[in-house]
Amino acid sequence: MDKLIFKVRDLKKVYNNKIVLDVDNLNFQEGKIYAIVGPNGSGKTTLLNILNLLEKADEGQIFFYDQEITNKSNSDTLEIRRKITLVNQDPFLFHSTVYDNIAYGLKIRSIPPKVQKSRIRSALNIVGLSGFKDRKANQLSGGEAQRVVIARALVIEPEILFLDEPTTSIDQKHIDVVERVIKKIKKEIKTTVIFTTHDLSQAYRLADEVISLLDGKIIKQVPENLLRGEIIEEEDNLKWFKTAGNIKFAIVSEKVGLAYISIDPRDIILSYEQFQSSARNSFLGKITKIIEQNHLVKLEIDIGIPLVVIITRESFFKMNLNLGSKVYLTFKASAVKLY
Amino acid sequence: MDFIIEGIHKAFQLIFTLDSEIFNIVLLSLRVSLTAVILASLLGVYLGFLMAVKDYWGKRFSVALVNTLLALPTVVIGLIVYSLISRRGPLGIFELLYTPSAMIIGQFILAVPIIIALTHSAVQGIDKRVRNTALTLGATEAQSAWMVIKEARYAVLAAVITGFGRVIAEVGAAMMLGGNIKGSTRVMTTAIALESTKGEFGFAIALGIILLFVAFSINILLHYFQSKRV
Repeated sequence: MDKLIFKVRDLKKVYNNKIVLDVDNLNFQEGKIYAIVGPNGSGKTTLLNILNLLEKADEGQIFFYDQEITNKSNSDTLEIRRKITLVNQDPFLFHSTVYDNIAYGLKIRSIPPKVQKSRIRSALNIVGLSGFKDRKANQLSGGEAQRVVIARALVIEPEILFLDEPTTSIDQKHIDVVERVIKKIKKEIKTTVIFTTHDLSQAYRLADEVISLLDGKIIKQVPENLLRGEIIEEEDNLKWFKTAGNIKFAIVSEKVGLAYISIDPRDIILSYEQFQSSARNSFLGKITKIIEQNHLVKLEIDIGIPLVVIITRESFFKMNLNLGSKVYLTFKASAVKLY
Repeated sequence: MDFIIEGIHKAFQLIFTLDSEIFNIVLLSLRVSLTAVILASLLGVYLGFLMAVKDYWGKRFSVALVNTLLALPTVVIGLIVYSLISRRGPLGIFELLYTPSAMIIGQFILAVPIIIALTHSAVQGIDKRVRNTALTLGATEAQSAWMVIKEARYAVLAAVITGFGRVIAEVGAAMMLGGNIKGSTRVMTTAIALESTKGEFGFAIALGIILLFVAFSINILLHYFQSKRV
């Protein structure tokens, strides 16, 4: 069996009297790629920060190989911290050149300048930014900055690379590069990679193992169209689920307040015209992504928030759907699953 | 009216003929104030940094105290240091009174709170991600602290320059602690005060022009560093 690089036991983290992370048992094996998925506020970043020794746990234990590292001070864990590194969701570049940024991790490890130079060159190559070494950090686009930050992490040849939402705030062109880099790491460098993402299909595309977090707990399977929001009751006694973007879904619920919902993408009916039915949820949306999967087609449709809809290939061709097509999405209040 | 024009005329003559007395005074001023500011920076930048990043008991009080000390009148500093280093004072045996060292001590006390307060706000304004980024790249606590200072470098330099601007232009402490002794502790500000009362306007105006020039250069530098602050 492969060696366990990280072991987490009975980990708890509390903010303002609320448990934000509650993980009984979690193992990470050497050389594998892990995706941690879950909606905003599910505890992904907190888990990453604790494993990275940036935050302290309130309860439980963490082992790096067989050495316990829970709540040790930064100076006690220097040796371990130098074997792992984190690329933040909102990456920060020091106010200097791309070269100096990438060199930082090598300088503090007293790596000779000659070695630094060749390692920096190959790190920039991996992220596809070879000509960028003399650029000023503040002149980079968001996607370029993200790639420089990944190069800065790779150059120190970490045993574990953590990436917090590496593709959330960048455009498709850069997402492709970042995904390619992750695949390349897996194939060539064999570093253990642990990354978080919203995008379930990305998680399955890149990772050997997908870990799902919901409300700080690990759940067996992540449903598609998982949303966080608030259940409200209107005057007519009907319950609605309101997302942060102010989109309202009719639901069946006993309770009100903060909640998670999911909508099975197979329960959503697509049509060009709005039709009369018993289903209470009907939204007009625009198709933004089409992914064919064997006999099914997975569509991402923007109704103000992206929803995933799965239909058969037959329906897809019969309806003659295209990118940018405007369609109505219809589903029953009882198709909305509550957590 | 004539005496002013005559004074200005004389002043330029003194400056352009590189009058040795004037230039000795200018050099002494620069030596005293630069020494005071370099020493004050060593302490002030360190304390300002700690105040910004550490959590400790009485933090808010210490910030308020430092901000109060910004308004410390130079004559009060003069008075305090005078009482300590005069013959009858506890540090009297060192015979510091009326020496350049005494002026350096006074100006050091004047500059320290300025440098602490401005470093404190400079470091506070630095993105919290700097420290975490340094740590995740494997920095020790000291290395990550140095990175924070480096990121705040322009603002910290501006703090040091502001401190220098304050001490080179002060007169109270220099007068009380240095005593304005010719050739020994006479600096630009004390010389201007003395020479104008003596009626030597040319001499005073020459020093005034040089002092203004120094202040102007400091401001140009300050603007330069502040515009680089990103």
